[in-house]
Amino acid sequence: MAALCRRFTGFHFLLVLVSLSISSLVFGDWIGDDEGEQFTEELLLKPLPDRKVLAHFHFQSTAHPSPDSGHHHHLFPKAIAQLVQKFQIRDLELSFTQGRWNYENWGGSDPISSTNAKPPGVELWATFNVPVVEIDTTWKNLTHALSGLFCSSINFLESSTSYTTPSFVFGLNVSNIRYGALPREAVCTENLTPWLKLLPCRDKAGLATLLDRPSIYKGYYHSQKLRLTSTKLSGIILEQTLTIVLQPNIQRNSAHSLLDGAIQPSWSISSMFKRNLTGSCVLARTSRILVELEKNIVSKLEELGHGGSWSNSLLDLSPNPFRVIKEVNPFPEESNSILFEYVNSKEYEPLDVGIKWKLPFVWSSPHAPFHASRFLMGSGTERGSIAISLQSTKSDEYFRSKSNECRMQAVVFQVVPWYVKVYYHTLQIFIDQKLQNLSDVIEKIRVTPSEDKKLPGTLELVLGYPCTVQSVALTLDFDKGFLHIHEYPPDANQGFDIPSALVTFPNLHSSRIYIGDDSSVHSPLLLKFQEKNVVLSYTEVLLVPFTTPDFSMPYNVITFTCTVLALYFGSLLNVLRRRIGEEERLMRSKDATKRGLIPLIVSKITSKLRGMPRSKPLLIFAVVLSVLFHYIVN
Amino acid sequence: MLAFHGKIAISQHPREPFLPPPLPFRYPWTMRRIITLDPDVKFMCTLPFSWTMTEKLRSKLLFEELVLLSDICLSIYEVIFTGLQGTLLLVGDDNIIFSSLMGIGKWGDLKFLNSMETTLSLYYISFPSTARRRSIKRVHRETSGDERGEDALGGAPAKECAEASGGRVYTVVVVEREDDLGVRVVVGKHRHAWIVGKISENDVVSLIGKVFVKYFMNGGKKVGELAKGIGEFVPVGADGSVVLSFSLLNADPSDWVYDWKFKEMSNIMLTPFVKALTPIANISIESQVLYHTPKLSQSYWDEKSSSHIFSIRDLPFFVNSNEWHLDTSIIAAGRSKVLQFVVYAPSASECPLLLQLPNGEISMTNSFISPMWGGVIIWNPPHCAGDSHNTLPPQVRLSPIELQKIFQVFLAQLRMLFGLKSNYIDSSETGISKFLDSESGFTEWELDVLYRHHACFNLHSCVTTLESLAKLVQSLPRMIIMDEIGKQVKFSLEAANLAQRNASLGIYDSSASSSRQAKVLAEDAFFHPSIMSISYSSIEHYFAIYMPFFAPVALHVLLAAIKELKRYKRERAKYLAFISEKAKMD
Repeated sequence: MAALCRRFTGFHFLLVLVSLSISSLVFGDWIGDDEGEQFTEELLLKPLPDRKVLAHFHFQSTAHPSPDSGHHHHLFPKAIAQLVQKFQIRDLELSFTQGRWNYENWGGSDPISSTNAKPPGVELWATFNVPVVEIDTTWKNLTHALSGLFCSSINFLESSTSYTTPSFVFGLNVSNIRYGALPREAVCTENLTPWLKLLPCRDKAGLATLLDRPSIYKGYYHSQKLRLTSTKLSGIILEQTLTIVLQPNIQRNSAHSLLDGAIQPSWSISSMFKRNLTGSCVLARTSRILVELEKNIVSKLEELGHGGSWSNSLLDLSPNPFRVIKEVNPFPEESNSILFEYVNSKEYEPLDVGIKWKLPFVWSSPHAPFHASRFLMGSGTERGSIAISLQSTKSDEYFRSKSNECRMQAVVFQVVPWYVKVYYHTLQIFIDQKLQNLSDVIEKIRVTPSEDKKLPGTLELVLGYPCTVQSVALTLDFDKGFLHIHEYPPDANQGFDIPSALVTFPNLHSSRIYIGDDSSVHSPLLLKFQEKNVVLSYTEVLLVPFTTPDFSMPYNVITFTCTVLALYFGSLLNVLRRRIGEEERLMRSKDATKRGLIPLIVSKITSKLRGMPRSKPLLIFAVVLSVLFHYIVN
Repeated sequence: MLAFHGKIAISQHPREPFLPPPLPFRYPWTMRRIITLDPDVKFMCTLPFSWTMTEKLRSKLLFEELVLLSDICLSIYEVIFTGLQGTLLLVGDDNIIFSSLMGIGKWGDLKFLNSMETTLSLYYISFPSTARRRSIKRVHRETSGDERGEDALGGAPAKECAEASGGRVYTVVVVEREDDLGVRVVVGKHRHAWIVGKISENDVVSLIGKVFVKYFMNGGKKVGELAKGIGEFVPVGADGSVVLSFSLLNADPSDWVYDWKFKEMSNIMLTPFVKALTPIANISIESQVLYHTPKLSQSYWDEKSSSHIFSIRDLPFFVNSNEWHLDTSIIAAGRSKVLQFVVYAPSASECPLLLQLPNGEISMTNSFISPMWGGVIIWNPPHCAGDSHNTLPPQVRLSPIELQKIFQVFLAQLRMLFGLKSNYIDSSETGISKFLDSESGFTEWELDVLYRHHACFNLHSCVTTLESLAKLVQSLPRMIIMDEIGKQVKFSLEAANLAQRNASLGIYDSSASSSRQAKVLAEDAFFHPSIMSISYSSIEHYFAIYMPFFAPVALHVLLAAIKELKRYKRERAKYLAFISEKAKMD
């Protein structure tokens, strides 16, 4: 097979012998194959309704189970294998995100939004294969190792106040899971570089060369994710994804100058990333680019009579795709999304995939049935309440097809730091603005109350309500706690962040089925899309303002109380010590001859002042007073 | 009490004419003075108590023993080298040479002994007994082939001698016979050497001296070189472990991609090596293949040799730390040491790449080491002309023969990194004709040298660590020291003493391992987390907290005391005057 593989001399030949080449790509004697190590790279591009473009990079490295794991590697990053080996990781997901996923415009029920829309900052969860008593120490060591590996402050998740043990939110009813989030962590190139170091070609070849730092960090959303799965059967699977939402530059088109404002901006890889894509990473088993057109675009195209074509009166996809992959929908009357596949091979001409729009066109992305948001209520720095609201997006087809008995399930998972003291008994649930009896709505609830300086409060809640409901709102009252002076962060006046709450809809899945094309099975990205992922959405991060003390206060208090005590002690000592009678007698006897020091000075000053004009003593008096006042105030 | 009441009464009604006259003068020591001096006294009394309250927990650190150990350690070299024991076997058809050597009785004042700083105190001159004669005869017969001679010597006589002396004995066998090859001196792979040929006794003495001093004692280095370089080039981490990280770097995978079957070859070639070094360090082995890793500095094209030449001057710029993401290993967390071994496959544009020595010659191994970092081997692909028209670069696995060559260079590099010579080819001028190699890469006498060297270094660093810990602790009297640190120091000292005892007995491997343990414990004590968090309650801090209270209070107390003392003096003077007047009146 190796000989076969090497015999191909050009891409054209590859095109002619599509099936053969694919089989050779798949079964060829590739580097690391004997040891069961593979690497694939894929890029998904998708136009978004609000004139933006989604780029989703998917790199996958796999290592088959072997006793050498962590010691001898060919393609798989040694550091990750050692991490898995040392901490006995079963599952791990780490994401660094900047910006917030716009569920309304960018979609809420497609596979990308349910797996790659992440809360701002850092989110980490992991399950371990270690005995329950060792999980916490393993987690702590893991956070330190990861923060070293990714140049970030993940080690702040070490303290028991910042992580929690969810019981049923992640669908895994296990006790060996730990979850933690750092909403304020800034994400930048220093996190991307170590992430790229895990790829065999880094950003020197292949799809990762597109990652031009200024272009990708200028985007509206940036989420880099690392997902590790390790089992005894399949070995270690490392998925590295990078999801970016970019605004393509508007390319002025003279022919349609009047329509420029309404027309979607045309874009191509080189215009968006400011880099050209030449060739793939030679170590990658597959390297492909996929362009996805959402079903709303496709339905429009079908209306216009060019279903599934890539060059029509509405848009122009260039260059010609290698293959078209169609989605299969359970609702046959509806149209489905289309994927256009490009194979990225070593060619001399850069592969510059792009879409040129010809006519103004508006569409919307598939929404999740409910839009989740969270906000604070109340004022002042003493107490307040948190509200989570779920608004029906109405546009979903799930309900149109279903009758009135349909019941919706929503799981709310919220972690609150201990200094926000939530009173869980104040939980109120409103459905369509009407207060509900809790037992009617809540199907399952698990509350871990916060413990001061030890545990964060965790709320896990399964709500069940009819599908026709317009809005669901939850409120919880809280008191703001007082922190010890050492517990305030450097910029305490900014307020404290409460990590995003997670709302999942367990009976909705964002899986896609593609027409039985056997080769698509070999695309890890499409396999990922076909998985049954629960539709979920993260809410906003809340910023809670706190009372901040005067940080010099302890010393002031010490000084003040000490002075008062010293005064008291001094006067008491004087009272006990002095002999009034004797002193008076002494005074009287001395009165004629000797005068005290202060009266002497006063009399001298007054005698001198008498010789001056009248305004001067007043002036001097004023100056002395002001100096005294200043001294006292300070 | 009476006086107290009386005085109050006087002070409240001073002008009342009908009051009784004032009490007669008394000695002026009253309640008020007690009141005034009371806080002063109490303050003074509680001061030591409050001092102990603010004092920190400090474990006893066995300073005396530490001083003792450091004294002993100064003489560590002597301790270790006096442990050397030598045996000389003389084999001859006629016993003339025996008798002549014995007759001379020169062993006491062998010249080489005087030239050394240390002394070889013990020599066993064993005469072959009749029982052993037979085996030695066999030796005699077989020494025509070195390997077989080695086997025979490693077998019967050396073993017997070792048993007889009860320790690990270095043996030199002198076989006297006519030989066409002249005098042959062979250093074996165990702890012995033999001299075959017809030579005069003076030459024998000087040859034996060379073999003992230069090789068995100093591992082929000059005398004193090891002692001078102590602390340098010992690539063992502070926790006594070393990670050997092997990387195959493909400078540009678009030209060709090379892969290796590392594990199989490592099992064959590196495992004996690791086993031999177990007393010195815990060694773990890792390997990886990296891509897109160009070197940092440029080479130039040499027409004559039709290759790219990289001169040794530029070697510091060969390792490209920006692009070579060799990575420290997660397994090697903490204070262990990672040694990087890199096989660099150059890209087509710089192939073949050769290293040029300063004298203009091309390096034979095409490799170099960097002390304490590791080694680099440049491996040129057999067919340098890259086929750039090929869409898919050739992906080749290194053949076992090539890999074996690479591993041989690795072993030589490892020997050098651990402080031995890579080979003894250049030592022919000393008159040694041959050195026999061992499978593990180290002969037994070399291992002994290494163990001694490491034991010395470990004890040295253990003592310096403990000394600096002691200095630190003494210079910071307010530092908290946990009991655990005290225990670690104690165990470390115990292990160090054990290492010394073993070294003086000649059991070098266990000496090396217990000295390693001593070093690890000393380092653990020094880097104990509780030491890291030195309490920051400095004297200034206490001053700032207690000053606002004690300064005003002290002011009051002192003023009151001064006033009372003044009054006391005055009243006393008055009282004394009254007494004397009274005495006069009487």
